Amino acid sequence: MTKKPKAVRIKPPLTTRISKQRYLLIMLAPGIIWYVLFKYVPLMGLSLSFTDYGFRSKVSFVGLENFQRLLTSTIFWNAFRNTLIISLANIVFYFPAPLIVALLINELRSTKAKRFIQFLIYIPYFFSWVVVGSIFVNLLSPSSGLVNNIITKFGGDPIYFMASANHFRPVLISSYIWRQMGYGAVIYVASLTTVQPELYEAATIDGAGHWGKLFYVTLPGIRSTIVTMLLLNLSHVLLIFEQVLVMYNAAVYDVADVLQTYVFREGVLSGDIGYSIAVGMFTSIISLILVLSTNKISSRFLDEPIL
Amino acid sequence: MQQKTMNAIKDSKGRKAFRVINVLTLSFICLIFIIPIWNVLVTSFAQDIDVMGNDYLLIPHSFTLTNYTRVLSSGYMGAFKNSLLVAIAGTILSMCITVPMGFALAQKELIGRNILMKAIVFTMVFDAGIMPFYIVVRELGLINSMGAIIFPVALSTFNLIIIKNFMTSIPTSLIESATLDGCNDLMILVRIVLPLSVSIIAAVTLFYFVSYWNRYFEVIMFINDSRKYTLQVVLRGLMFESDESLGGGTYVYNNLKMAVMVLGMLPVLIIYPFVQKHFVSGLMLGGVKG
Repeated sequence: MTKKPKAVRIKPPLTTRISKQRYLLIMLAPGIIWYVLFKYVPLMGLSLSFTDYGFRSKVSFVGLENFQRLLTSTIFWNAFRNTLIISLANIVFYFPAPLIVALLINELRSTKAKRFIQFLIYIPYFFSWVVVGSIFVNLLSPSSGLVNNIITKFGGDPIYFMASANHFRPVLISSYIWRQMGYGAVIYVASLTTVQPELYEAATIDGAGHWGKLFYVTLPGIRSTIVTMLLLNLSHVLLIFEQVLVMYNAAVYDVADVLQTYVFREGVLSGDIGYSIAVGMFTSIISLILVLSTNKISSRFLDEPIL
Repeated sequence: MQQKTMNAIKDSKGRKAFRVINVLTLSFICLIFIIPIWNVLVTSFAQDIDVMGNDYLLIPHSFTLTNYTRVLSSGYMGAFKNSLLVAIAGTILSMCITVPMGFALAQKELIGRNILMKAIVFTMVFDAGIMPFYIVVRELGLINSMGAIIFPVALSTFNLIIIKNFMTSIPTSLIESATLDGCNDLMILVRIVLPLSVSIIAAVTLFYFVSYWNRYFEVIMFINDSRKYTLQVVLRGLMFESDESLGGGTYVYNNLKMAVMVLGMLPVLIIYPFVQKHFVSGLMLGGVKG
């Protein structure tokens, strides 16, 4: 008896496959062109950080001069420090907020109430930074803002939140939380529904209290969502830009100037392009390291890595 | 035995207390979200006299449409039209690029699929930054044209992955039987896949629309001609810098400012209630996973 031959799928030659998939390839083309043009060509543009591109018509190679300049610039270090402080505050205060709110929402019994609050807190996510910034200008205005109205009612002096070096960063963080929290909370609430109810029953039988269930069932059940959210957050935390650009003003440059706004001013407004690319590249590389190392660390707690 | 019943009662009391505190906390959180938005709406319908006293209006004292009629006949409408134009044209273009690409990437036999997906996800974790992007747009000769605020942001990796993931979940048997019937991939997309993807398409369309509508920094970076500014740019000028172009006076009252602001939030306020559930399902499918 001859053995049944193993089913081996031989791929047809490439040319046949290409002609078979010609419609798919045509559909891909515009997207690929876009990625090359606006994502990969800019990556090649990073090499300009080793040149003095920007001022003279003739571009010459300057080696690491831009990076040396960056390391000795006090404005750069100030922007760097501000970026770190704001990012750290963001992670500490913003990152847990949606999770906590989602856990609270999950405890509500009424489905209607659950739906309503998600509907409500998700709204600001669709407002622009200009709108969110304006809403905070209103809320914090020294003359007519709600917060200052309350402060003066209790006999305090009105605070110029938007123009005060001590208060501007908390304003940035709280407006960030206000805009972004609903997005995270909605994702967490949806993710919480995927935790299997049998696990809770088993935990009850094993005598777990509410805290026990939280730490041994709920949180482990949504851990991959938590890590995904953390990575998403980390991937743009250092690149904070538009929010600051909209909300800052000359009075708070010292505490609000971040790396990206520094790049924007040096590059677009002053035309010092080679140098500003160097600053941008520095930021992107640190950001990449941050995301990849977090991914590496977190993959130990997960069945499969996120990235 | 008695001990046990005691515990049960204690426990449920604790639960009750927790539930009350929980409802109070969440109600407070709701207020934090409602009050500032409510204030904008109420103020935009208030008469001048109600905003002169520097109150943070929460209870409407008057109702007037004059703020809106003044805004509608002012220069802000030009910016409003620009925003609308960019958002509509941009969304159409984005969908025309994203949907076919997502469909192609969802086909498992696609040539080079894995490499493409890796190359696409890579752009999510490593960004070349503002300046190289600026130079590319400048070299393409797009500065000061509407194209500069459409083409460079025409595709969102996030939206692409949402669509790709959804279309991957469509049973391959449907597609295979259509192939046997002699459909090519384009016909499969239009006749079979699109009708099945209506809700995800709706969600992504609105994600794109809102993202175009809300753009700010691309506009100030690429557009120098103030006649081409979008609403967000002029709104920022109005709210953060003193601006006297509205109403002719030296001071712009808050009610007028808020009317412009409502204009800036308008698409979201109109569209959002209808599509909120799609937004949620879209987000869940998205994730960052490729």
